[in-house]
Parts: sequence; structure tokens; C-alpha cells
Amino acid sequence: MTSIEITDPQYGDKMRLMQMLSLVRDPELDLNIVDLGLIYEIDINKEAGEIRITMTLSTRACPAGDYIKAGVELMAKETFNNYSVQVDITFEPEWSADMISAEGRQELGW
Amino acid sequence: MEILQHHLPGKRTVIPYYAAAALSLVIVSFLILISLTDFKGHFFQPGILAITHLTVFGWGTMIIMGASNQLMPVIADNKLYSERIPVISFVLLLTGTCLLVHSFWGFELGAMLFTGAFFILTALILHAVNIFLTAKRAPNNNIIIDFILTAHIWLIITALIGITLLLNFRLGFLPADHLHYLKIHASVGMAGWFFLLVIGVSSRLIPMFLLSRKEVKKYLTAAYYLINAGMILLLIEGMMLHSIYGRVLYVALIIAGALFYLAYIWHCYKSAIRKKLDAGMKQTFIALGVVSLPFILLIGSVLFVHEAPVSLISAYGYSFFGGFITTLIMGQTFKTLPFIVWMHLTRPNMLAELQPKDLYKEQLVVLQLVLYLPGFLLFLTGILLQSKFLMYPGSILMIMASLLYCGHVLFVVNKLRR
Repeated sequence: MTSIEITDPQYGDKMRLMQMLSLVRDPELDLNIVDLGLIYEIDINKEAGEIRITMTLSTRACPAGDYIKAGVELMAKETFNNYSVQVDITFEPEWSADMISAEGRQELGW
Repeated sequence: MEILQHHLPGKRTVIPYYAAAALSLVIVSFLILISLTDFKGHFFQPGILAITHLTVFGWGTMIIMGASNQLMPVIADNKLYSERIPVISFVLLLTGTCLLVHSFWGFELGAMLFTGAFFILTALILHAVNIFLTAKRAPNNNIIIDFILTAHIWLIITALIGITLLLNFRLGFLPADHLHYLKIHASVGMAGWFFLLVIGVSSRLIPMFLLSRKEVKKYLTAAYYLINAGMILLLIEGMMLHSIYGRVLYVALIIAGALFYLAYIWHCYKSAIRKKLDAGMKQTFIALGVVSLPFILLIGSVLFVHEAPVSLISAYGYSFFGGFITTLIMGQTFKTLPFIVWMHLTRPNMLAELQPKDLYKEQLVVLQLVLYLPGFLLFLTGILLQSKFLMYPGSILMIMASLLYCGHVLFVVNKLRR
């Protein structure tokens, strides 16, 4: 899971984006994808007007993968209206349950 | 915004199977009520044959075929090979089941019976071909795919033995007693088709639903080889050897395989992150507990060296289909169907507001279990004790559960119309 340092010059923008992305929920687990640890990296290029999000899915053949990806893209576009958005799916590293945040673990009853 | 949906099969390949299966369950439960006297007697009689085949094809196989059309692309990480074949298979399976069950009910061993059997066999072969061709294009083969494909091979073998038995009704060419082959037919269907398929599919779904951190795949591999060795021995012993030692050995192999599977599930549960189980998963775990019943009854029947009492054999078959398979499917329906319907309904901008859990009523799944489980246990005890006094209330409870289940399934499916 990506962690955004307060010293990051884009801290504010990235946190705003993460907040929007947390509205996207994994349909089976009913947990938001940020707490689930699916977001790996966010790169905001203000000069070029581009946002690049690198994320994963809980399984390679996740049946809802396309929906989650489309949801992430939509939320990013809603947060930054005039930016172009690219969402890359990666399985390096493969997602594991250890990536779930403390809040997420609590919600799942872990 | 468009969604790619690269693995999502069309509605027609899945939903009709669920709806037809739910209606079949209701019909089965009413037929049981009007055939209570038959359950006190020998299992080889028209009413029981009709009910069993409606349960097997109209209920169990129907919903499993529909669900596998949805799940196979997920398991094989590939598109379903053909979306036309499931539609043809559905029509053939539904028509064939109606003809077969009607013929058994009136014990009319004529053209209608053979036409029904031929339709069913064709549907099963077409479905199996589609599943094999989908699996063939999978990027990685694994033990779960092996379970599913092997189960389909046993399904075709079961159907072929069944058709041979129908021919034997007319021509009487088999050397041993007809009932002897009937037991092989039933055993291959139960352990080879239903049990292997359930193991394959649940081994994928249960860790996924529970978010298990540890999957001991070697237990699954052991289960696969033990059960299949047991099945092959069952066929050889049943067709050629007829020895009590062979019978004990294949039962032991299959039970050992089942224990490895349960050990795999236990590890999945123990390492699960998601400890809060919803009603569908609770019912699934109850079904996995109920699977011990047919095995206990099977061991009981094997202990009889010559011939086990018919009530014990009937109870064994009933506990497998009425207990394990039905409880499992009733629970898993509300894990899979809302998700399937949701995938056809949702849009990216709805991901925050519409979830699969919003498409069904959790309380109704709990109520369905509360009605069904005591009903099943009463009925099973009624079969063992040959008591209509116990079977009657059991049957009424199962009717109520099946009506609730069917109404709930149609309620979820109806969401697609909005």
C-alpha cells in the first residue's frame, strides 16, 4: 500500500485523490480499495496535466477488476477535472492480506 | 465510461440456469411431500427415481452448470470459449429433465424416456466441451482446474452408465442384478461429479471469500488423487471384482480424500482475515459439516457384509443430495448470484453506492437455513426410522424453505430488469 509522506510536495493533492479513491469499494469484500491496500503508487504531473495510478487487484483473475479500474479512473478524473488519467494494473508485488490497513483489518473483523 | 468486462459472460449463459434450478427445488420439495410413503419402502421405485433425477439434473446439475459458466472464466483467467453452447445446453437439459422425470414418475420406459436421456447426455457433453476448451486456453494450469475437468469426465461416465441402465430395462443384457449397477451409477455421480466439482469450485471461492492467507495446496493434490483412485477402484470393483475388500478400500480412499479436502478448508478458515461470516458463508460451512452424514451412513452400509438395509442406503443418498448438496447450493447461491447480477448492473460511478449485498436480503438467507436444516434433519431421521410422523413436518419445513429460496432468487434476478 502506498504511504504518502507529509514531506511530499504533492501531499495535499495526493491525499485529496486518496480520499476520493476510498469511495471505490471492492464488491466482494465490501472494503474500500485504499484500506485494502490496492493502490501502490500515485504520480501527479502538474506540468503535463497527467495522473498515473499504479494499483493491483486482490487476485489476478478478479472478476470485478475491470469495474474497480474504471472506478479508480472515474474518481481521479472527478478530482482533477482537466487531467488525463492512466491506471496501470500490476501484480509486482502480488497483493497480500498484510497490505490491508489497520482500519481495514478492524472492519473485516481480523 | 465503458467497462472492458473482458471475462464477463452474458446473462443468458448463467441466469436461466439459476431460475430453472430454483423452480426445480420447489417442485422437488412438493413431490417429496406427496411421495412420503415411497420413502418408507425400497429406493428403486418410480416416485423416488423421478425425485432423484429432478434433484440431480433440475436442481444440482442445473445450477452448477450455470455457476461454472460464470466461474470458469475466473478460474481459468480466460473468456468462456462459447456463449452459444450454454444456451443450447440449457434448453436441452431443461427439456430432457422434464421428459425423463415425467417418464420415471409414470414409469413409462418408452421413447419419451430415451429422448429425455439423449437430450440430457447431449447437454452434458456440450457443456463439458465448452468447459474443457475454456480451460485449455488458461495461462496457468492448476489443481483446481484439474478437479473441475475430471468432475466433468465423471459426469459423462455417470450419464453413460445411466443410459446403459435404461437400455437394460428394455433389453436385460447386464450380467448382474440391475440394482448393483444402479448403486455404481449413483456413487460415480455423487463422488465423481458432485463431490469433485464442489471441491474444485469451493477451493477457489472459500479462500477468496474469507481472504485466507494460507492455502495448503498439497492437501488438495492429495484429495484429488485419493478420490480419483477410489473412483477408479469403485468402477473396477463394481464391474468386475465384486469383493468386499475392494468396497472397503475404495470407500476408505474416498473418505481419506474428503478428509484432506476438509483439512485444506480448515487451514483456509484458520488463516482467514475475514472472520465475520455472512449468512451465505455460514450456510456453506454448515454444509461442509453435513457432508460427514453421508460418509457416516456410507461407512455404516459398508459394514453390512451382505446387504445393508434399504433405509440406510436411502438415507445415505438423501443426506448427500438433500443435506450436503442442497444446503451448500442454497448458501452459495447468495454468494454468487447477487455478484453476477451486480456485474451486469453496476457502472463505475455506482461503485460507492451499489454493492452485491444490496441486491439480496441477508435475513432471508438466515430464515431459509432456519427452515431448511431442521426440515432436512427431521426428514432424514424419518427415513432411518421409517417414520412418516417425522417425514411429514420435515417435508413441510423444506417446502417453506424452497419457496422462500425460489422467491428470493427471482427477486434478485428481477433486479436486472431495472
